Amino acid sequence: MFESLHPDIKVKCHYSEWSGYQTRNDVRMVSHTESDVMQINYAWLKQYSDDGEGYYDINQLSEYVDLSDFTEEDLAYGMQNGKLNAIPIALNTMTVYINKTIYDQYGLDVPKTWDDFFHAAEVMNGEHYPISMSKKSAWFFLVSYVGQMTGKNLMDDEGNITFGEKEVTMMIETYCELINKKVMPQVEYFDKLKIVDGSYAGVLAWLSDAENYCGETIENGYEMTIADYTTVNGELNSWYAKPATMYAIRKDVENPREAALLLDYLLNSHEMAGFQKLEKGVPLSASARNYLEENDMLNGIQYDAFIKMQESKDKLEIISPYFENDTMIDAFIDSCNEVLYGKSDETEQGKILLRNLTAIPE
Amino acid sequence: MNRKNVSTDVRIRWLKRMMLISEVSVIFLLSAVISFLTIKKTDTALKTKVIAMTSALNEQMQMNLDSYLQRMETIGTLVFAEEEVYKYSAVDSSNSDYEAIKTEQLIEDKLYDLCIMENFVDFAIVYSNNHPVGKVSNGTVKLFGDNLYSDLEAMINRPKTADGWSTGYKENYKRIYYVKRVNDDAVLVISFYTNELDDVFEHPGGIDDIAVQLVEANGIVIYSSESGQEGKVLDSEISERIKGHTAVTTMDNKYLITLKECGDNWSVVCSAPAKKILKEKNDVTVFVVIVTLITAVLASALSVLLVSKIIRPVNKIVDSLSDEAHNDLLTGILNKKTFEKKVDESIKQNIDFKKKAVILLDLDNFKGVNDTLGHAYGDKVLVGVGDILRRVFHTDDYTGRLGGDEFCVYLNISDLCQGNYINHIEEKCEELCKAFANNYTGDNDNYKISASIGVAVFPDNGNSFGELYKCADKALYSSKHKGKDTYTIYNESMSDKEETK
Repeated sequence: MFESLHPDIKVKCHYSEWSGYQTRNDVRMVSHTESDVMQINYAWLKQYSDDGEGYYDINQLSEYVDLSDFTEEDLAYGMQNGKLNAIPIALNTMTVYINKTIYDQYGLDVPKTWDDFFHAAEVMNGEHYPISMSKKSAWFFLVSYVGQMTGKNLMDDEGNITFGEKEVTMMIETYCELINKKVMPQVEYFDKLKIVDGSYAGVLAWLSDAENYCGETIENGYEMTIADYTTVNGELNSWYAKPATMYAIRKDVENPREAALLLDYLLNSHEMAGFQKLEKGVPLSASARNYLEENDMLNGIQYDAFIKMQESKDKLEIISPYFENDTMIDAFIDSCNEVLYGKSDETEQGKILLRNLTAIPE
Repeated sequence: MNRKNVSTDVRIRWLKRMMLISEVSVIFLLSAVISFLTIKKTDTALKTKVIAMTSALNEQMQMNLDSYLQRMETIGTLVFAEEEVYKYSAVDSSNSDYEAIKTEQLIEDKLYDLCIMENFVDFAIVYSNNHPVGKVSNGTVKLFGDNLYSDLEAMINRPKTADGWSTGYKENYKRIYYVKRVNDDAVLVISFYTNELDDVFEHPGGIDDIAVQLVEANGIVIYSSESGQEGKVLDSEISERIKGHTAVTTMDNKYLITLKECGDNWSVVCSAPAKKILKEKNDVTVFVVIVTLITAVLASALSVLLVSKIIRPVNKIVDSLSDEAHNDLLTGILNKKTFEKKVDESIKQNIDFKKKAVILLDLDNFKGVNDTLGHAYGDKVLVGVGDILRRVFHTDDYTGRLGGDEFCVYLNISDLCQGNYINHIEEKCEELCKAFANNYTGDNDNYKISASIGVAVFPDNGNSFGELYKCADKALYSSKHKGKDTYTIYNESMSDKEETK
């Protein structure tokens, strides 16, 4: 479509699955084979462009990219050292999706606290899991829990671990408790199809994945609802938001004008907005959002999740760029499994995990 | 003699025309033959070149594909590099959950390392309980459902290597699968979007009109460089032309097609409408035709010019012969025969009976001039008379020398003067007499040359030159009698005198 609007520009697309995308991106960035226009994660801005030189300064291309469609606040997510390195497509946060039909069957309210989940597990008695999640979601879930319980953050802005042994041990303990009390299945056994067929009565996933996880479940006749972000006592903190994927331009792009035109098309054009709809979340671009609104496309579970986020926007913390390190997450789950299968105890694994987390380079 | 000259004149003019026509025809014919041969030669050369290029392109595409598929198979083979990976069975009940999780994590890491730079949709080992280890996309999970293992296993169609390529699963032609048996309870699946083949089938610029398609043995298009063709049956116009072949290059007026079969009953088909692919040829044809036409036109123009240059002397001779046939050689005015003929023709055409006059002149004392001043001078006098007649009379009037010193004028009388034609005739006769007087009075005092003039009027005095001449002659006779150097218009009484005489 873009090529038909700009016949002089030829775009070569590369499909890339999100899992492993960071490693692939790593390899490409280090080997200088990255694409001219690329989707990046918010976390990588610090990693590749701490001084603002790792990506092209899009402010230089404002002639071609309409930046007026974004608020200063939105653009600030992509600023590094005074340079606009990336533009966020949408905002994202971990969202609790609840199968209300199942909960209703057990006379349960939509859970708001961790205790509500434990209670639901007791009531469901192994027939359903009250919640389910992937490895990364579990990491977020447990970091939020411990954060709320202790008032501490996992790490500081520079990526240094600020949790101590006590906090990481609490993470391991709580994960094992969630598994043992059948609040959620082990992350290794997390199966999306079981959300669809109602075996899992809830799922914790990114806002941008709402349709992906809930669409079919709703088609199967279940009522899916957006729960409040889970808290210990109703006080929301330690729950994180971040820009969903961002678009950046290669620092030494050969054809900056053409790259900028493509970027503008991806972010602001009506064509792309209509094509992408809410797949990556509700767009931050006013132009794209207006188009969706005018065409009655701002609806469904994804939009509900967006509204929930908007309602709590002031209380959500912006995620540290170092937060989503896969090695950290793997180390956490490994420690949990050691305890879960009786190979070690929480105290020992707490020490090991803290050592592993602090040893992981930024 | 004169009739012969006239006929020769016409013939020469006809020949001249025919010569020009023939010459131009020959030039155009020659040009057509040259352009036909040139076009044919260029056509053949271009066709050969395009066929060779397309054939080479197809060969290259097929090699690219083989190489790409081979790479995927090699990645699949690397799964067997570690015993722990290929021997593990997720359905083995003796596995403890802990060991299973650890082993599966190891397998997942191994697979992850193998495909890290690949754009695979799926890269996983799927066990007979449908449990996948590795990356299985949501789309695949949804598409295969509970038949994940069994349907993947069914894609193995090469017993020797226990693997196979497949596409079009549940009519979904957007993905291509490679499946290889890992052990009795497990298969490895690699899948990727067909648009990954864009890189494989990327062909050099300049031959954009060529469509590259990967086609299954059943004629379904797996991949096409033209969007929207995947999953559709290959255009019958193309499939008809390659039916029964495994490798062929064919070209006719509609299509240029090359086919090369690769493994797994897949074929690479490159095709292009002949019109588009031979656009260069058409351009050359148009160019050759235009150049030839311009050359032919220029050659014809040049030839006409040359012929007219060459023919000009001949024309002069022909014109001269013509003049000689019609005119009096000495005075340049009409000779007697032509004069008579023209007057008679004019009379015949004068159906309105408009007044005309025959003015007959006879020089006075001409014999004396000849005798005294010689014939040469006499001839000069006659030439001078011719000049006088040309000067006094209009080109519409016929002037002729009937013989010796006898001249005649056939006077046209304009519509305006028809009413008082006698006055007009008299004016002309007086003018004539005056011209004689001006010319020959004083030049040579020895002999004053004048003319006696007799006039007859059509249709009053006759309906043919012969009748009019007779009357004019009588009037001339009368002028001689009156003392020469005068004119007389015929009247009936002159006829009576003659009869009386």
